[in-house]
Amino acid sequence: MKRALVLLLLVGAGCGGKAVFRLSSDENNAFALDKALAQRQLPATPTPVNDAHQPRLYALANAAGANKTILALDLASGNVMWKADAEVKSRIAVGGDFIVALEGNSLVARDQARGQPRWRHSVPGTYVGHAADRERAYVVWKSGSTWWLAALDGAGGKQLWKADAAGVLGAPQAHGGVVYVPFLSQWLTLVDGRSGRLLTRVRGIDEQISTLRVTSTTAYYGSKQGMFELDGRSSTGLRAEATYGKVAIPAQLERTTYARDAYDDVQAAYTANDRTRVLWATTPVKQGPMAFAGGTYAIHHFRFLLGFGADGEVRWAYSHPRVELVASDHTGAVVVGLSASGEVVAVDPVTGAVRAQKSLGTSQQVLGGTFDADGWAPAAEGQAADPVAALVGILRDRDARFDRVKELAAGVLAKMPGPDVTRHLLETLADNRAPQRLKDAVVEQLVARRDPSGLPALTAQLAVRTDYLAKTEPDALGATARAIAGLEGLALDTGHVEAALAALEVHLDAPTTPTADLAQVIGAMAAIGGGAERQPLASHLLLYHADDLGGEAAWQRAISIALARKGGPGERAVLRRVAGDPRSRPGLASAIRDALGVE
Amino acid sequence: MRHAVALVCASVLFVAAGAAAQPAKKQKDISAEVTALSSADPAAAAKAAADLGALDLPAAHEALLDALAMGLPAQVAVPAISALAAHPAPPDVASLRRYAHHHNPTVRSAALAALAAYPSPEARGAIAAGLRDPNGSVRAAAAGAAMRGRVRDAVDPLLQLLARGEEPAGKALAGLADLDLARRIGDELGKVPDAALAKCLGAILLRADFGPDPARVEIVRAIAKIQDASAVAALTDYIDATPKNPPRPSRSEAVGVVEARLAGGGK
Repeated sequence: MKRALVLLLLVGAGCGGKAVFRLSSDENNAFALDKALAQRQLPATPTPVNDAHQPRLYALANAAGANKTILALDLASGNVMWKADAEVKSRIAVGGDFIVALEGNSLVARDQARGQPRWRHSVPGTYVGHAADRERAYVVWKSGSTWWLAALDGAGGKQLWKADAAGVLGAPQAHGGVVYVPFLSQWLTLVDGRSGRLLTRVRGIDEQISTLRVTSTTAYYGSKQGMFELDGRSSTGLRAEATYGKVAIPAQLERTTYARDAYDDVQAAYTANDRTRVLWATTPVKQGPMAFAGGTYAIHHFRFLLGFGADGEVRWAYSHPRVELVASDHTGAVVVGLSASGEVVAVDPVTGAVRAQKSLGTSQQVLGGTFDADGWAPAAEGQAADPVAALVGILRDRDARFDRVKELAAGVLAKMPGPDVTRHLLETLADNRAPQRLKDAVVEQLVARRDPSGLPALTAQLAVRTDYLAKTEPDALGATARAIAGLEGLALDTGHVEAALAALEVHLDAPTTPTADLAQVIGAMAAIGGGAERQPLASHLLLYHADDLGGEAAWQRAISIALARKGGPGERAVLRRVAGDPRSRPGLASAIRDALGVE
Repeated sequence: MRHAVALVCASVLFVAAGAAAQPAKKQKDISAEVTALSSADPAAAAKAAADLGALDLPAAHEALLDALAMGLPAQVAVPAISALAAHPAPPDVASLRRYAHHHNPTVRSAALAALAAYPSPEARGAIAAGLRDPNGSVRAAAAGAAMRGRVRDAVDPLLQLLARGEEPAGKALAGLADLDLARRIGDELGKVPDAALAKCLGAILLRADFGPDPARVEIVRAIAKIQDASAVAALTDYIDATPKNPPRPSRSEAVGVVEARLAGGGK
């Protein structure tokens, strides 16, 4: 039955088009792959596809009704080349002297220099995707149960050839005269753009092929898990033996992908999916995994660009003011982003310094765009990004959609040294509008931070007390105390410790300190006190051992452990006396005995 | 405070060492009260505290001070504090300040009230700080203590509390007021609720020790500026409490204001 179905599919697939997409066909053939790769007419270095080899951007903005406006920007000069209203429904692909997009139900090519329509080709089915190289446009569509790939002459729009497929084709990509078409999520088919002849195909053995990214010099394919660099080793089909790479994507940026999903119809147009991207460039390797250029990569996440080192740690951050970046790319020299209000920013991939800023000069809302800017390296060297300022900017962003990114920013910030960092983290705790989950994350980061230089900032945080007249209450007292306790065992400035102890003692004595915070205050005093905390803590124990507060289990544990661990003979005698006092609250004697047992 | 705590630790060590130290014999044997003060029965301990406070004996005072240092439940701490302050001595202040921060507001109130009996700057500071307590009954206790202890540092926070309409603050200010302070209070018109201001100024007028009469006239005129009915009530109280003879200009002024208000249909 299965064999008959395959036969039927094969017969059906043969009708009307070239025999390119077959279920059984030569695949992962090293010789054929090398030959196909050698056939590509690619520049020696990353270069824009357009014939002028100038870095350009083709952006799409909202216009009246169903119309959109295409805006062409020369990135080098910053000049808008042209604008044209059109009913664009897809991404824009860039050829040598034309651009091409789906307008209505037709693929329409426009003169790249002026924006005037050059030719129109009706798509005879359901549009899937299209691509272009210098000379041709390629389009995939579905008609009935058959998928089609066709090539159109870039100059006149004449259909040069077409090939059918009995299985699902994804949106194509192309460069240097070769078209890359994902087939049935399993194969990457390489087709000769001039003739439509199958060159070869690569089968992913241990990874799906659902995503493509093609630059002027390199093609990448893979899935959400990671990407292969298309080279001779791709014929193995295996991650371990091919040039395969994946980056560490923080859990907070979990929606981030390497490129659009070639099989997702929605992503045939510019969508919000374009706002969560891994951006990278590579240097060719003969063996081993993919080598990221400069050992870095970046992630575009809505308004933010985050630069990562090879170790997966954030190196820099860029926060775009007010509006989201709707498109982004890596030119090999800079990371570029296009904002919803038409600003273009180019950021150094190593330092995060802003290297260039341009504008489309439009008041229309920009929906997306295609960069044809491979190799663009703006000369202007901006100041290296201030990572603390950028991360604090993210942390204080009011947009609730970015709460997870803020948690990431807090984590990155917490790893940076300096009292200012501690202060910024504490300000987040004091921010009434900050979500509790973020505050919880910040608390954990503060505790784990263990930065002695932050002690004065933590002490300053303790200065706020409950005052009916001043209408003040302590902010994040428990968290601050926990962070101070985290400094235990580190070399601390004596003056800083004295000041911190004095501030903690105020809260130890304060009638309004909640029990949970009180336990943290006690722990902090014991952690850094070096003996100076013993007397106030012993006094505190005596004051409350027979009182309601003395019945609180958290308090019992905290005070008993603090005095047993750090107290001298006098304090241990106090503990023993309290444990034997019949007035002591239930549970306290047991807590003391437990604590003294670990002396 | 630190000194007191060090003494506590030292005394605990002393007890812990098993020394069979007996209280020195005094003129009266108070050992039963001292033992009861540390009883697990709060009622018995509270009675012992009161009994010790009734005795004007150094040993009784020491016993109370020791018991407070070693920590007492709230229902015992309150009478022990009152008993201690019955015979004030400078060492008491550290102990009372400790209890002025107690988690239990009743204990705090008792400690603040007791501190009024101590003229030290530490005691006055604790009373002034008590005016910032989030608990209203504690603030009221601090206000009363500020008045009894004549704590000048308390004036500004008391004025702030008066501005929030807190009656105990008004009473305290009235008790503290000399002519300058009375003028200052009068200047708070518009910043303080009318009723609270009228009551405060009226209470000043009722003070037998406030004067001379031209000063009272100023207060009457300050009250006359208040449009609230409470102004008439305050002046009426003053008129009722002051004999017609010998004639007092301040009373006559008050009568005139009240009659004018009532004749005009005012309040």
